[in-house]
Amino acid sequence: MSVVSLGVRALARREILRYVRMPRSTFLPPLVTNTLFFVVFGVIIGERIRSYGEFSYILFILPGLVVLGVTAQGFQNASFTIFHGRWEDYIEEIQTAPLTYEEMVLAYVVTSALRGLIVGVLIAGVGAIFTLLDPDVATVGLAHPLYVVAFVLVVSVLFSGLGVIGGLWATTFDDLAVMNQFIIRPLVFVGAVFYPLSILDPLWRTVSLVNPMVYMVDGVRYGFLGIAEIDPNTSLVVLTVAAVVTVLVDVWLFRRGYGLTE
Amino acid sequence: MSSQFAISTRDLEKDYGEVKALRGLSLDIGAGQFFGLLGPNGAGKTTFINVLIGLVKKTGGDARVFGFDVEDEYRDVRSRVGVAPQEFNVDRFFPVREVLMHNAGYHGVTKEEAAERADEALRTVGIYEKRDTKFTYLSGGMKRRFVLARALVSEPDLLILDEPTAGVDVELRRALWRIITDLNDDGTTILLTTHYIEEAEQLCDEVAIMDSGRKIAVASPAELTQRGTDTLRIQLSETPREVPDIVGTELEAGSIEAVTTEGREVVVTAKRANAVAPELVRRLDRAGYRATSIDIEPASLEEVFVDLTGGEDESEDDAPESESKRLESPEATT
Ligand SMILES: Nc1ncnc2c1ncn2[C@@H]1O[C@H](COP(=O)(O)OP(=O)(O)OP(=O)(O)O)[C@@H](O)[C@H]1O
Ligand SMILES: [Mg+2]
Repeated sequence: MSVVSLGVRALARREILRYVRMPRSTFLPPLVTNTLFFVVFGVIIGERIRSYGEFSYILFILPGLVVLGVTAQGFQNASFTIFHGRWEDYIEEIQTAPLTYEEMVLAYVVTSALRGLIVGVLIAGVGAIFTLLDPDVATVGLAHPLYVVAFVLVVSVLFSGLGVIGGLWATTFDDLAVMNQFIIRPLVFVGAVFYPLSILDPLWRTVSLVNPMVYMVDGVRYGFLGIAEIDPNTSLVVLTVAAVVTVLVDVWLFRRGYGLTE
Repeated sequence: MSSQFAISTRDLEKDYGEVKALRGLSLDIGAGQFFGLLGPNGAGKTTFINVLIGLVKKTGGDARVFGFDVEDEYRDVRSRVGVAPQEFNVDRFFPVREVLMHNAGYHGVTKEEAAERADEALRTVGIYEKRDTKFTYLSGGMKRRFVLARALVSEPDLLILDEPTAGVDVELRRALWRIITDLNDDGTTILLTTHYIEEAEQLCDEVAIMDSGRKIAVASPAELTQRGTDTLRIQLSETPREVPDIVGTELEAGSIEAVTTEGREVVVTAKRANAVAPELVRRLDRAGYRATSIDIEPASLEEVFVDLTGGEDESEDDAPESESKRLESPEATT
């Protein structure tokens, strides 16, 4: 028998089927949005923006857009599936099943992270197509593939874990929208996706370093392009610790029945 | 660890803020029993069930299922229990057959076996032809059938049914009864809550009556019925001018609660009408009245229920009925 119980696999299957069966509302939106990002920022504006070192602007923003997709999708999936289950009470099917709390969290986090990863791959693919089509731009490469994999994995787990907390905490659909609009999005937009930290004045640079998104984007950019403004190993360790702590908090909340039991 | 009791609770308490839903409830339900839980709306029946399956955290006391603690050994408990809840809580993203397969899967069943169990459960409750429909698009009665099917796919040792027949037509009610009676015959312990007293009377070998989070009585339906008052109607040859004075102290001590007249009838409410009838007729005779016929209406479980719970049941379905029962029933105190 595998270490992953049949119960976890059943829950994981349910979770994956839910988003795979409705690609128009799960995979299509980020695909369209990111295509537009690449068109507008990469092609139209990008040609007028001076490139960073040897890289064209489209290559510079690609890693950040991947991070944006992975985090937003992981968070959104976990928070939605848990909140919706609570809202319609069918999360009780899981609560009354003989799964351990660790197993429940594992299934939710892994499947949400997987959705983030799929979207990340899609975005990278779209970006690659744009760079291939443009003869003036170098095709996107993978300078340090292991770093890409490690960062994207850790980041997807971290945000899926945060999404679990959000899904347990929310009491209305508005709460979900608020978390996405006012917490996740702003972090992304001031997260050095569209500009390097070096163009900021020292004060804003320092402030930016409080934003975890900066480390993720910088780390993934290091993986793709081989350039980094922050030591990628330090970033990776800090993010891994954050992801582990988040998942432990998830388990603790499930065990306590936070948002789940009266 | 196993236990002769499917459910065993001691001094179980649940507070929802100010509301005390369970107040020191101690209850033992034997393995293999068909047990009924009766009580007016808000008595705490659903809360009691939810404590057992982990949807509600108890405030105090002890609760075990087949000997397993509901909190410390939650997996052992949950792997043995199937619940058809009062309020629907079904996954609406998937067709019902898949929902059943997922649920079987959560209980550690392989995909192939889950598919078999899902089909079997759908056939058992008679909605196999609706297998590819989503829950939302089932009719009300089919939804009731479905939640029973969902409780069955894990092949539970304890099946908990929280008002499974509320708002269900007579035919379906009988079908559901047959299904759960068969399961009980095969050894599954059944815990049933219902507002249809006659349902409990027919199905259960033991019932508990709850009110305001407390246990008021536990007995077989027959024993409980004996605690009720029978109505004895003695028809006289002519209308008496006043209520005959026929109640001696020794009879009162026995069980008589009231004597009234209705036209030519003397109506006596008594605990065991059979036992007092001959003596009453003799006394009427001595007082100069001649009895022409005697009729005994035995107590019903419903009347006992209304007496014990103060007749507070306000469930929509039987409100008019219990209203009239309340008017008929004597002002007995418990
Ligand atoms: N989630 C909750 N929050 C606050 N109070 C609650 C909650 N659930 C139940 N109660 C209260 O607890 C008491 C018991 O409710 P419960 O649902 O257990 O009764 P019941 O016996 O199942 O009633 P019914 O026959 O109507 O289903 C009621 O006073 C109810 O208002
Ligand atoms: Mg109830």
